[in-house]
Amino acid sequence: MKEKAFTFRGKYLLLAVILFYGVLFLFNSGIPLSALKKSILILMKVIPIFIAVILFTAILNYFLKPKQIASHLGRESRAKAWLWALAAGVVSHGPMYAWYPLLEDLRGHGMRTGLIVVFFFSRAVKIPLLPMMVDYFGWTFTVVLSLYILIGALIQGWILEMIEQNNGKLK
Amino acid sequence: MENNTTQKKQRKKPLQKSSFWKILQKSSLSFWAMAPLLLGVIGLVGIFQVLVTPKMLSSLFRGNFMIDTLIGTLTGAAASGNPVLSYLLGGELLAQSVTLYAVSAFILSWVTLSFVHLPAEIAVFGGRFTLYRNILAFVFTIIIAVLTTLTIQVLP
Repeated sequence: MKEKAFTFRGKYLLLAVILFYGVLFLFNSGIPLSALKKSILILMKVIPIFIAVILFTAILNYFLKPKQIASHLGRESRAKAWLWALAAGVVSHGPMYAWYPLLEDLRGHGMRTGLIVVFFFSRAVKIPLLPMMVDYFGWTFTVVLSLYILIGALIQGWILEMIEQNNGKLK
Repeated sequence: MENNTTQKKQRKKPLQKSSFWKILQKSSLSFWAMAPLLLGVIGLVGIFQVLVTPKMLSSLFRGNFMIDTLIGTLTGAAASGNPVLSYLLGGELLAQSVTLYAVSAFILSWVTLSFVHLPAEIAVFGGRFTLYRNILAFVFTIIIAVLTTLTIQVLP
């Protein structure tokens, strides 16, 4: 398989954001400066997650061949793959965008699109934050909401697969 | 005969396992290629956190459970930051008599939907996938918020 040439992605987005900061600076220097401080703080927090994702991607690619990934998470995969996606979403930490590179890699190796949808939605169940949710909203709310989130995630994945079957692969 | 042996050798080549460092280098490089995209999103999150204040968000709720559920979903998607913040804000909103329908939608869409992540999601997964995923997440956020509240009302 031909290797993809290295190119930076999102150059225009970054440029647009920098321009936006610049324009805001002309009107009120305080806003972009505090936004920049917040962004740096966010970056510091997500760097360990980025490192973990890079390591995880490398470990997966080292131990599993693309064919194996496809058989576990691809078209032929069974209920186990859906449960794995659900569990992975629940235990995944950090912002959604930190997981884009890993999911893109897995998708490139044949991962079903429905599983990505399941992963993204099940991330709404945050195990470390459950005690806090119980404290604010109560046990019943936390259990009921979490249960519906997991069921909803699976239904969404299934619907997306149905859409793909009728309209072709979603890109 | 010689041709056959060469073909066999060529077939065997891709099966050789690359070293872990090479694979790690490759995955670091593909992550590095995404750096401008991720930095752009982080920059957007920072600016949204400054411009969209909790006070601004809570002032949007109107007292009608249907409209408030919709507003809860949209404001959750517009806000960004640690989900802990959504619980804090959700608690505040409940104290201000905003309905549980709206608060459930708000804390759920905070994690599952995000306007600031859209450019990156489109760049990585494609426009059509992003469109369908976000429509599904939007609809299901509302359905789950309503179902959760109704279930809690029914439970003893």
